[in-house]
Amino acid sequence: MKKIILLGAVALAVTSAQAQDFKAVEEKTFLAFDTTQDLATKVEQSNKLSLIAKKWDNEWSAHYYASYSKAVISYMEKDASKRDAYLDEAEKEQEDAVSILKKNNDETFVLAAMIANARMAVDPMQRWQKYGQIFSSDLESAKDLNPDNPRMYYLQGVSKYFTPKAYGGGKSPALPYFEKAEGLFAKETGKDITMPHWGKDKTQYFLAQCKQGD
Amino acid sequence: MHTQYQEFMRKMLLKRYLPSITLLSAFLLAAGVANAQYKISGTVLDNNDKPVRGANVYLENTIDGGTADSMGIFRFTTSEKGNQTIVASEVSHENAGLPIVITGDVSGIVIHMKINKVRDLDVVTITAGSFDASNDKSKTVLKPLDIVTTAGANADVVKAIEMLPGTQQTGADNGLFVRGGDASEASILVDEMVVQNAFFSGPPGVSTRSRFGAFQYQGVSFSSGGYSARYGQALSSVLELTSTDLPDKSTVNLGINMAGIYASGTKKWKNSALDIGGNYNNLTPFYGLATTNFNFFSVPVGGGGNVRYTWKPNKDGIFKATFNSSYTQSGITVPNSFYGIPDTLIRDSVTRKLSQMGQNINFLTKDQYYYSNVSYRQLYKDKYSLYTAASYSLDKTNNTFGDIPIDEQDHRAQFRIEGKDYFTSRLNLMVGGEVQSYGISKNFNDSFKQSFTETQVAGYTELEWTPINLIAFRPGVRYEHSVLLNKDDVAPRLSMAIKTGHHSQISVATGIFYQDADNTYLLAGLRPDFQRSTHYIINWQYSNDNRTLRLEAYYKHYDNLILEHSATPFDPNLYRTITPATSVDNSGYGYAQGLELFYRDKKTVKNLDYWVSYSYIDTKRKYENFPVSATPTFIATNNLSLVGKYFVEKWQTNFSMTYSYASGRPYYNPNTVGDDSRFLSDKAPNYNNLAISVAYLHSFGKWFTVFYLSVDNVTNNHNIFGYRYQYDATGLVTTPIVPALYRSIFFGVNMSLTQFKKDEL
Repeated sequence: MKKIILLGAVALAVTSAQAQDFKAVEEKTFLAFDTTQDLATKVEQSNKLSLIAKKWDNEWSAHYYASYSKAVISYMEKDASKRDAYLDEAEKEQEDAVSILKKNNDETFVLAAMIANARMAVDPMQRWQKYGQIFSSDLESAKDLNPDNPRMYYLQGVSKYFTPKAYGGGKSPALPYFEKAEGLFAKETGKDITMPHWGKDKTQYFLAQCKQGD
Repeated sequence: MHTQYQEFMRKMLLKRYLPSITLLSAFLLAAGVANAQYKISGTVLDNNDKPVRGANVYLENTIDGGTADSMGIFRFTTSEKGNQTIVASEVSHENAGLPIVITGDVSGIVIHMKINKVRDLDVVTITAGSFDASNDKSKTVLKPLDIVTTAGANADVVKAIEMLPGTQQTGADNGLFVRGGDASEASILVDEMVVQNAFFSGPPGVSTRSRFGAFQYQGVSFSSGGYSARYGQALSSVLELTSTDLPDKSTVNLGINMAGIYASGTKKWKNSALDIGGNYNNLTPFYGLATTNFNFFSVPVGGGGNVRYTWKPNKDGIFKATFNSSYTQSGITVPNSFYGIPDTLIRDSVTRKLSQMGQNINFLTKDQYYYSNVSYRQLYKDKYSLYTAASYSLDKTNNTFGDIPIDEQDHRAQFRIEGKDYFTSRLNLMVGGEVQSYGISKNFNDSFKQSFTETQVAGYTELEWTPINLIAFRPGVRYEHSVLLNKDDVAPRLSMAIKTGHHSQISVATGIFYQDADNTYLLAGLRPDFQRSTHYIINWQYSNDNRTLRLEAYYKHYDNLILEHSATPFDPNLYRTITPATSVDNSGYGYAQGLELFYRDKKTVKNLDYWVSYSYIDTKRKYENFPVSATPTFIATNNLSLVGKYFVEKWQTNFSMTYSYASGRPYYNPNTVGDDSRFLSDKAPNYNNLAISVAYLHSFGKWFTVFYLSVDNVTNNHNIFGYRYQYDATGLVTTPIVPALYRSIFFGVNMSLTQFKKDEL
């Protein structure tokens, strides 16, 4: 009898949490998104993030994560027009996040830079001029608000890493950015999902790659 | 409710009122049943019955949902019941919804989604007569970078435009010759301001570069007809260049090539930037490596400097101020086109003096050029925009023809103000006005002086209306007043576009265009009325996935062209003098009609980008001193350009090739004197040119370096653009009109440093 009561109580607690606790839902869904490398699962979790953003329309972080997830997926998709379509969604959600905040914070600038970078990645030869500029100006704006945002340096590192060597990119030029990011990630507590803190594990991955040398 | 339960449960458990809650637990279980999870499942298909992978399927206003798999199948659970709406959304489809009633598990739902949401990209754009190269618009045929990398253009914007339909290849002349128009009929604009003397000055018969390097511009828009009411005083064409906005980084740029050295630096602050640059040119190495077709007794040398300040006072405003200056000098020995002219053709003292000089003459030209432009654009509340700009240019040329000094001074000042009201995203109205004052003064041998100053005032308005995504209208009207001529004109313009499919559209454009008489007439003190042209253009464009096909047909009517009335026979000398005594009126006329094709493919082969441009033209005119209506000497009936670019990632090398063909152009044969039916009926040989260029990219530490090598006219084809006839002791002799060089080789290196910001990390 005792067990049944406990079970019932737990079940009830979980459903109510799902319905009510925005942070818990957001965290669970985002983690599910972030920890998988499978595109189909990512799409599924990103769809959930969109629904969360719809339901908790006044939470900037809900729109932030919906946007972030679309940008990540656009890198993984193959079809160019679909990649752009994902980025259209990402832009819309990013704008929603900013309008809730009334103005950009460092994280929304970093996100905008990431979207610009994803736009460029769809057709680098044709787009680097336009989106390269947006990428760096958004990161600069982020830096003005918070020079200790590790994701800023992470994105710069990734951009350097994938820039052809002829244009001054590659592993060794990227390394200092990841090192800088690593130091700043160490200071992030990562306790509150509504304060974005993604990027730590990816930084570790790139650090290892960069240290292998070109 | 739930929170109260939770709190209640917690208290219960904490106080261990276990025995007494048996009943309660039974109630809870019942509640659990009432809160049952229903299974919802089904399929999402597109309008071709193909599964929509990744579609987000959910109950509206809930977070209960699932994602369609590769078969389009979705399943999820919900505790909702009763009347619900199930919605499917997916990035490349339109949202679709269905009402459902949940009383238990629901399966077999089929949701149909329409492919292709109408995105901004799919709104029709007016393309008749215009080629836009811009980084900002997603739907452009060309990007500014395409211009830089076109072989045979040597990073000269205007030269690259000659690889597009509607233009003529030039080799011995300067300027853009568009759809039957001569160079004076094309206006070149920077930031909406007219550029006087857009080409570096040089001796007669030697074509020179335009003053525009491709890297200074973020947008290039070439109109071969039917252009906006914003512009006037160009019967054929406008080429609009938009200078770059605020640079994104501080940069140092250095370069050396066979024509000189240059250096520039950009200092970027938060919202402003300063660019300073300088260059020294000396064509000795370039001409030294090839045999020139001219005798350069003074090889072209020159130098220049530029300063530019850009400031972004706020997110939606941009201020630009530019100042350029340059100096060039060159000298060649030219055949004296006045030598031995029979007395019957001599109408004035200048011609007489020149005709008595030697058969070959040293022509030396020294040119000082100053150009400044200040502009400010501001957008207010995403609803209104205001643009104001002012420019001033001064060009001082000191030529010596043998021992005769010929000095010329050109100036132009312009002011423009333009406002735009964006009523909605689909409707905006532009209203603007401009004043420009320009003049030329010429001083021949310190004795014969000619000059004029013209002031033109214009007002214009244009409406852009896209009632639905499929249709766009752009009607406009322009009013112009000439102070010099004391004349007014009203020039209506209209263009429209309609989508004919997902990827295709038809555009039409028409309008009336006015232009003053050529400067040579105005200099002579002659004041004929405006010349006029009327354009009718239809264009079909298909564009999908990096492949573009454009077909364009046009008819252009010229009237009120300047016509000279003279008792003497036709004089083919381009430099013949026009005097106040020359009888001219506006009875000239002409037409041009043609078909043009452009096909570009960036898709079929990875890293290969190529385009084909073909123009057919049929044009005749009776103007200037033509005795009858004829096809002018600058017209080739058929023009073809094949441009290909291939980037080899592994070698970090870009290969580029351009083949150009033009059928033979008419030339004047003096043996036809008296037989007007044979006037300009002789044709020069066809023009063929194969150009290749190779660019190798490499980073030396933080210096991004480009090595480039280009070869123009690889096959060393002896192109002839026509013939000139001259008198010598034996009578008439023929001299072919040829470019300064047949095959030419050019190489250089450019280095840029952008990453010296120490505080980036």
